[in-house]
Amino acid sequence: MKTLAIYSNKGGVGKTAAAVNLSYLAAQAGARTLICDLDPQSSATYYFRIKPKLKAKARGFTKVGRQIENSIKGTDYQNLDLLPADLSHRKLDITFDHLKRSKHRLEKILEPLQDEYDFIILDSPSTINLLAVNIINAVDYVFVPLIPTTLSVRTHAQLLAFCKKHHYNPRKIHPFFSMVDRRKKLHRELMASMSEEFQGVLQNPIPYSSVIERMGLAREPVAVFAPRSAAATAYGNLWAEITERVFLAGQ
Amino acid sequence: MDNLKFNLPHGYGVQQLVDELAGHYPVKKEEPLAEKLAFYDTFDWRLYQAGLMLSESAGELCLSQLATHQILQRQKITPLPVFVKDFPDSQLKEQLAPILEMRALLLLVEIQTHSTPYRILNQDEKTVAWLVFEEIKPAGGKEAAGQVWVKPVRGYPKELQQVANHLQIIGCSPAEKDAYLLALEAVGRQPGDYSAKLNIRLDPQLRADEATKVILRFLLNVMKRNEPYVKKDVDPEFLHDFRVAVRRTRSALSQIKNVFPAETTDRFKQDFARIGRLSNDLRDLDVYLLAEDTYRAMLPDILRNSITPLFNYLREKRAEARQKVVAGLNAPEYARVLHDWEAFLAEPPLDSPSAGNAALPIIQLAQDRIYKRYRRIVKSGRQILENTADEQLHALRIEGKKLRYLLEFFAGLFPADEIETLLKQLKRLQDNLGHFNDLCVQEQYLLNVVEELPLNGPSARKTLLAVGGLIGSLDQQRQRVKGEFAKTFTAFASASNRALFQKLFAPEKKEVAE
Repeated sequence: MKTLAIYSNKGGVGKTAAAVNLSYLAAQAGARTLICDLDPQSSATYYFRIKPKLKAKARGFTKVGRQIENSIKGTDYQNLDLLPADLSHRKLDITFDHLKRSKHRLEKILEPLQDEYDFIILDSPSTINLLAVNIINAVDYVFVPLIPTTLSVRTHAQLLAFCKKHHYNPRKIHPFFSMVDRRKKLHRELMASMSEEFQGVLQNPIPYSSVIERMGLAREPVAVFAPRSAAATAYGNLWAEITERVFLAGQ
Repeated sequence: MDNLKFNLPHGYGVQQLVDELAGHYPVKKEEPLAEKLAFYDTFDWRLYQAGLMLSESAGELCLSQLATHQILQRQKITPLPVFVKDFPDSQLKEQLAPILEMRALLLLVEIQTHSTPYRILNQDEKTVAWLVFEEIKPAGGKEAAGQVWVKPVRGYPKELQQVANHLQIIGCSPAEKDAYLLALEAVGRQPGDYSAKLNIRLDPQLRADEATKVILRFLLNVMKRNEPYVKKDVDPEFLHDFRVAVRRTRSALSQIKNVFPAETTDRFKQDFARIGRLSNDLRDLDVYLLAEDTYRAMLPDILRNSITPLFNYLREKRAEARQKVVAGLNAPEYARVLHDWEAFLAEPPLDSPSAGNAALPIIQLAQDRIYKRYRRIVKSGRQILENTADEQLHALRIEGKKLRYLLEFFAGLFPADEIETLLKQLKRLQDNLGHFNDLCVQEQYLLNVVEELPLNGPSARKTLLAVGGLIGSLDQQRQRVKGEFAKTFTAFASASNRALFQKLFAPEKKEVAE
């Protein structure tokens, strides 16, 4: 069993698109996969045509157990389930802060699900607070989408500083390039320099693509409605790099 | 929730059904799937009894729940091993090992399935349930049977129930049997049609001679069913079950006294004793070889491999012993005994039987026999408590076995839970005595086998050391097991157990001839 988070402290960088598409690829390869939508905006939940609602007692993740499991929905795809988002996720931070072992709440929530799934993939909101601490504590790998811009370099440096402060192993963090426009010289240059500056940057970028934007209309992973698109290929390559390089290196 | 399966209403096509449902939900057809499936289980239906089924399709093994078809494990293994010990290490192996133990997997039936899935959607066009139309055809079978499955999507139980209700309103009837069970039926197999356990229903008022024949016919059937597999040497349990049936037959002939003419009883007792002896050597060798890993584990690391020549030698001996058994089972003598025995068991009851107990109601004879046997065991056991000699423990084990067989023959005449309690208590005692006896026999056997073990080469001395080490280890175990006898026996002879024996079996009046 492996737990992954797609995480960034910056918004609009392609987190949800990556979480949805990578989860789909994991499930298609035969792994029992659960995607957890932690974002109150509930985009991942929407992409799977599921209602953003948890069972009453599961809201706020204050209790572990049946209510969480009963909130899980099967998606339209084999091996792939989803724990829907909920409006209450807006206040997860505050809720966790009032509970014991507040930095490990999420870990505790996921624990009982570990036997049931080969992969648990978290789609997280853009935040760098107690929820971020919980996410990083709960997972084995953090995948961070980076848009090759100067601003992104800054935010990623912030994230690494944050990890240092909390004594997280920086090897947990795996950046990958997102929304890349190869026609832009700046993008190409920044990708090269960021690969040098930051450790473990994955080499298969996700392009900026109208196909990915169309996910909102199609409400399906790109590999389903545009299997031959460049975007579908890019997610495929990225997932292959993750399974072949990241997971194997971790063993 | 379970998968729900239905038969189509008579004369109804699947398209009609889908059209009907499409009036209420959006329905979307998916690509049909054709599959060839083979189903496996052991001869005594261990997987079925555990609520499981094992199927193979295109080299992939799939273990699933019998009731729900929920997949528990799947793994590509080609070719399929016969024994679980030959599986590659995996979760599948872990799950199967304690169920299958030493038994071989047998191919039960092969089928062709053709299934067409339909998605049932909600207003967001999200799949909330699946409708799968499945046509199956057993290999060699004539007709295809069709069924409709409603399969759940996690988190949508209400929608599932609605679809299932709709199908019933349309006129679909819930189907009792799935593809596997229908296919078994088509090839004339009934799940659970063999069990090593005795399961004999008797009318308490049935005449004793007739009732005894019911028991003996059951045992004859066990012999006949196992015999072909004993000859083919599929797994050691076939011989074991065969031998137990022979032993039970002999036990029934001598324990259920005076129900047949004495000369008949004597003749068949001798015949079955000979049949039993035929495979004594083979069974002993099977037991040693099954325990090979256990034996190795008893030895210190430095001698663990030195024992190999012993097991190689035992394997050679086993090949010889097996030939002897096959020859014996193929000999006209065996066929003649079985023929005569079958003819005797088929004879109608005599109007005025000469044997003293023949006309008694079986319940009366059963109570008498069991109670006497129980009292004798308690008496012998008490003597052993005062002065434990190995021979007496051995004798007590034989007595215990006789009681166990009696309880099993007549279990159907008494309340099931109470018989269960008694058998459990007795089993504990028998396990202790049986273990003790096995250890005695094994020590002696190893001592004897060393005399004939061909030893040469530089490692010969080490092999002798290893056998010695084994004997030492067995002897320690033997002392320990012996030490546990007192406690085990006291539990068996407890007041509550005695009260139960009295309640079920103590005689009200004496008129049973010895």
